[in-house]
Amino acid sequence: MTANAGTANRGRAGILRAAVLASTVWAYAGGAVLLAVVLVNVVSVVGGIFFKPFPGDFELTEVGVAIAAFSFLPYCQLTGANVTADIFTSKAPARIVGLLASLWAVVAALFAALLLWRMYDGLLSQKEYGYTTAILQIPVWTVYVPILVSLLLLVASSAVSVYCRADEEPEAASA
Amino acid sequence: MIDAVAAGVAGLVALVVLIVVRMPIAYAMILVGGAGIVVVNGPLPMLNQLKTLAYGQFSIYSLTVVPMFVLMGAVASKAGLSHALFRAANAWLGWLRGGTAMAAIAACAGFGSVCGSSLATASTMGRVALPELRRYNYSGSLATGSLAAGGVLGILIPPSVVLIIYAVIVEANIVSMFLAAMIPGLLAVILFILTIAVYVLARPEAGPRGGATSRAEFVSATLGVIPVLVIFGLVLGGIYAGFYNPTPAAAIGVFLVWSYGVATRQLSFAKLKESLRETASTTGMIYLILLGAELMKIFMSRVGLPQATAEWISQVGFAPMMVLVILLVALILLGCLMDSLSMILLVIPFFWPVLVEINGGIYQGADGAAFGMSTDDLKIWFGILALIVVELGLITPPVGLNVFVISALAKDIPMIETFKGVAPFFGTELIRVALLLALPGITLWLPSLYSG
Repeated sequence: MTANAGTANRGRAGILRAAVLASTVWAYAGGAVLLAVVLVNVVSVVGGIFFKPFPGDFELTEVGVAIAAFSFLPYCQLTGANVTADIFTSKAPARIVGLLASLWAVVAALFAALLLWRMYDGLLSQKEYGYTTAILQIPVWTVYVPILVSLLLLVASSAVSVYCRADEEPEAASA
Repeated sequence: MIDAVAAGVAGLVALVVLIVVRMPIAYAMILVGGAGIVVVNGPLPMLNQLKTLAYGQFSIYSLTVVPMFVLMGAVASKAGLSHALFRAANAWLGWLRGGTAMAAIAACAGFGSVCGSSLATASTMGRVALPELRRYNYSGSLATGSLAAGGVLGILIPPSVVLIIYAVIVEANIVSMFLAAMIPGLLAVILFILTIAVYVLARPEAGPRGGATSRAEFVSATLGVIPVLVIFGLVLGGIYAGFYNPTPAAAIGVFLVWSYGVATRQLSFAKLKESLRETASTTGMIYLILLGAELMKIFMSRVGLPQATAEWISQVGFAPMMVLVILLVALILLGCLMDSLSMILLVIPFFWPVLVEINGGIYQGADGAAFGMSTDDLKIWFGILALIVVELGLITPPVGLNVFVISALAKDIPMIETFKGVAPFFGTELIRVALLLALPGITLWLPSLYSG
């Protein structure tokens, strides 16, 4: 019996660990995109003074920041970065608070799945109509690809956070 | 129409209930806003809108400055700028009675000019200044109280993430908002320093004089602030002078702060990774709430709730200023319950359209306006007032986040002492809000020079 419980815990910790690792790595990738946007802007300003402005720096900034922001969402979900007003439930029993957190994680997972489905359709219509950005002619559907990966990870990390979260079980996440 | 308004009110009630039972604020807004739109317009338009709504919202150009300034603040708090600032401020002010606490306020203001977050300012300056304040035998409540209050300057002095978010929601010019915050921000610094002066006049033992500074230390400490001045000058100076937009300016800020940290060997690769993780948490949190705020905004405008509320207010016969004061008091009370960013995102999409309706509509000029100023000016003025009052929540119980941050650094001082220490600053802030309410010119003068 205890052995079973131990395996279950290990399994749970393993899943949490994998989810935290995946979402952290993905968030770092988004962070790298953000740093690239920083560089594009610096080059554009400095180049604008000494040489000539960088064409399409606006679009690259918009596209890059959107990709980065989506990539941060799974990490936020698993580390409990999405703010709550804790004050009203600060005296409630831990079991109830845990149940509520799980319930809201279900809502998050459902919303992420809905958005994934809708934005997949969005990708298809962007592709069908051949929308591109104005100056650099980047096809918008290609920008949707990393975003859909982020949403898929958000579905997964929300589902995992129904059972456990990194900020609540740090030893399981970091072990 | 009655039905639509009733749906809107039901939506607001549901939102409050969900937030009370600890649903993340972003998801509560997404759920209520989305469900509300479905109830009013049916599911198909909503499903269609979701194809592009999130991407559209996340790729708004004026929002791109948010992650940039968040990153800049996160890197700045690890790059050692805070040491240089405090050292210089202490060389200038430390010899006064209460001078080291005044220096902490001045250093917080300096840090606020490169960082857009109150919590980062409080924790960064707290780590630097708290040991010094203890070394000079400052009383626990004055030491921690000044730092918790000083942290608020992080957001009052531009760049300010909350102010950018406000500007995006109400479609204001970010540069005008930053300019408008300058004089009220400096006023806060002066009033905070005066508060300390009065405090130590009443209780001289709470803030003893520091030692006199040698001439060499004075010069070298003062020169140490030059990098901060350069960063401030290039980032905000460049924005004000119109050399570039806020986003490239913030990018230059990230680059400069990073270079400073690398040059002074304070910024290791591990610290860079840490600042990226912080940026990911904050940015993801903000963007998700922004998505919810957009859905709530659509829902509210479809049911016409802001217009109905404004009509109701005029029927009841509240004076415009009375409504403004009620809204500000509501913000102070809400600020006791949740953090400033989520609050701005939660209530401004509702409060602001009501004020617009009362003032006479979005294109109302100064003549005949209920507040005696054009709606564009009202936007700026209300933004600064709202910014100040939501930040008061950071130093008031029960959820005074700045107080928590400083208390965590000063484990030997009971939290109640810190709350006692910030109380005088809270009083000063109320005086400042009253001043800005009575004299809108303090806020509106600089932006009026800028716009012509």
